[in-house]
Amino acid sequence: MAATPPLQSFSVLHSNKPSHSLLRPSSNKNRTFFSFTSNLRCEIKGFDFESHRGWTIERVSDMSKDSTNSHTNPSSPLLSVSAVTSASQFPTKNAKKVVLFYCAETKALAEKIAAETDAIELRSISWGKFPDGFPNIFIPNAQGIRGMHVAFLASFSSPAVIFEQIPVIYALPKLFIASFTLVLPFFPTGTSERMEDEGDIATAFTLARLLSNIPISRGGPTSLVTFDIHALQERFYFGDNILPCFESGIPLLKRRLQDLPDSDNISVAFPDDGAWKRFHKQLQHFPTIVCAKVREGDQRIVRIKEGDPRGRHIVIVDDLVQSGGTLIECQKVLAAHGATKISAYVTHGIFPNKSWARFGHDNGGHPESAFTYFWITDSCPLTVKDVMNRPPFEILSLASSISASLQI
Amino acid sequence: MAMVKSPNKQVNLFYSLDCEDLAHNVALQSPNIILQNIKWRSFADGFPNIYINNAEELRGQHVAFLASFSSPAHVFEQLSVIYALPRLFVASFTLVLPFFPTGSFERMEEEGDVATAFTLARMLSNIPISRGGPTSLVIYDIHALQERFYFGDEVLPLFETGIPLLKQRLSQLPDADNVVIAFPDDGAWKRFHKQFDHFSLVVCTKVREGDKRIVRLKEGNVSGHHVVIVDDLVQSGGTLIECQKVLAANGAAKVSAYVTHGVFPNQSWERFTHKKDTLENAFAYFWITDSCPLTVKAIANKAPFEVLSLAGSIANALQI
Repeated sequence: MAATPPLQSFSVLHSNKPSHSLLRPSSNKNRTFFSFTSNLRCEIKGFDFESHRGWTIERVSDMSKDSTNSHTNPSSPLLSVSAVTSASQFPTKNAKKVVLFYCAETKALAEKIAAETDAIELRSISWGKFPDGFPNIFIPNAQGIRGMHVAFLASFSSPAVIFEQIPVIYALPKLFIASFTLVLPFFPTGTSERMEDEGDIATAFTLARLLSNIPISRGGPTSLVTFDIHALQERFYFGDNILPCFESGIPLLKRRLQDLPDSDNISVAFPDDGAWKRFHKQLQHFPTIVCAKVREGDQRIVRIKEGDPRGRHIVIVDDLVQSGGTLIECQKVLAAHGATKISAYVTHGIFPNKSWARFGHDNGGHPESAFTYFWITDSCPLTVKDVMNRPPFEILSLASSISASLQI
Repeated sequence: MAMVKSPNKQVNLFYSLDCEDLAHNVALQSPNIILQNIKWRSFADGFPNIYINNAEELRGQHVAFLASFSSPAHVFEQLSVIYALPRLFVASFTLVLPFFPTGSFERMEEEGDVATAFTLARMLSNIPISRGGPTSLVIYDIHALQERFYFGDEVLPLFETGIPLLKQRLSQLPDADNVVIAFPDDGAWKRFHKQFDHFSLVVCTKVREGDKRIVRLKEGNVSGHHVVIVDDLVQSGGTLIECQKVLAANGAAKVSAYVTHGVFPNQSWERFTHKKDTLENAFAYFWITDSCPLTVKAIANKAPFEVLSLAGSIANALQI
């Protein structure tokens, strides 16, 4: 068999030569000869110690390349480089494909998230109930998600719905999926997470325990995405069997503030030290005002602790709002100290018992009685439904932030 | 060498609001059971705001909690207490959950079915371990025997039954020597037949005839007897009514029923109450225990219902 390659080589060489002779005039013929000679010399230098057979093969190979090069047009290399670049970008564009499940409350937000990118595919769950009130739940096409990255968009708006969604959250990771992400935009706390007395029960910690016990999928522990958790120390409520990813809605606010006609006249006010601690680093490019609650006799009143609101459009920033009493007290104090406009931002608009109704729109220029804008995100779907298209309320959607989190 | 009887364990018993009556009954069984209070309040957003009174005084004491998961909403608030109590330096913690709710069907017929009972078992298996060791979990007549394996090793399930209460009650009937036990299906027979060694047994079965599912007498003789249908729980009660008709048609002199857990969603117990025009077709007795407190309140003093209290059995379980 050793004899075969040389024969082929000789044959190829022979067939190439006549072709060149026939196609080219005498002057070109000389040039070809020169190239050939040059290649030959180079090869001799490079392969001094090669065996005869090896030498023969290499020479034929170079001849072939040379022939190719002489026919290449200038644009070809650029196209080739461009193709390579395009190929390397392809995996990046074709981002991690995620199957996103959702509950009834989060359907609207889930659809927005899916609209952000082709990499997110929505799947529905059959939410039923047995006559005794307990959940009767079915995940259609469960085998179809094997090997897929899976996420669930939860909303724990009441104790009842927690127990409806937990069975799904505990079931999904067991279906041979590549990874599981729980997106819980608002981590409910019952607002007061005090442990002032032995005997106080911290319901946020109970919830953190429930989530820390989500079964580990074949791809590893669950990632938990939550926004502007109420107190920074709550991140330590989670055990090591879950990976919390703490995100914030503040970037959405900053982007929105830039769009305002008076964006260069904005100051940020925090209703208390807690809010200042949570957010001041993200808002350090704005002049800052900090309010404080102080006791005078039996009354608790709000006072400006530091900063000057005169002539400014003030945006009160906090992580959440319940009945809104504190925000209204702040608004009055800020207006009394010369604010020209007052707006508010909270990431989580909880508003139990329709308490959003107490927030009116200033209709241009009455900061002492109403708000210019009141921004919330869509982390509390029930509130979004209530306040949509009701000035001063405006929804800043978390959809793009969540979409980005699902790619981590 | 007379052996000195060891003193009984003193137990502090907390309870959910639904279980207040049962808790009082349990405490009456023994001076060693002391009732304790919890403040059940809510924040404006609906989330629990709960306070355990005298928490520091529980240190070194045996503690129990009497739970009732009558709806998904009640699970979360009681779970908050259940997760908190073992952490208060207690000598031991016992969770008494007379009825372990299952949503009735625990099928996994298809990949994608979500088993609610297993989720609940997971939650209970993650109760923090007290300084005195893992939580003891007391459950009565769990729906299916395999459910005992849903619990992890961090919790110690103790499976009890209400059947002894029924047997004691049957022995008091004037026609006690004429009673036979009927099971509505093979499942109930498997669960309970060993506890009725001294009774004649009857087994019914559901069969399909065309589109209909009818109940048929599979084995046993009921002619002239007072038949007591026994099952672990009742939901709407359709099966029991079908059984009653078949047993009566086969010559039963009387038909009664016993279930440990009277779930009866949507007031479905009403179809069993004695009405004048249908008295001859009715149940002679319908015994339930007090494992489902809402039902106990609803049916109080309504014939044919009679409540057999689990209080004595629970008091004994707390001494283990």
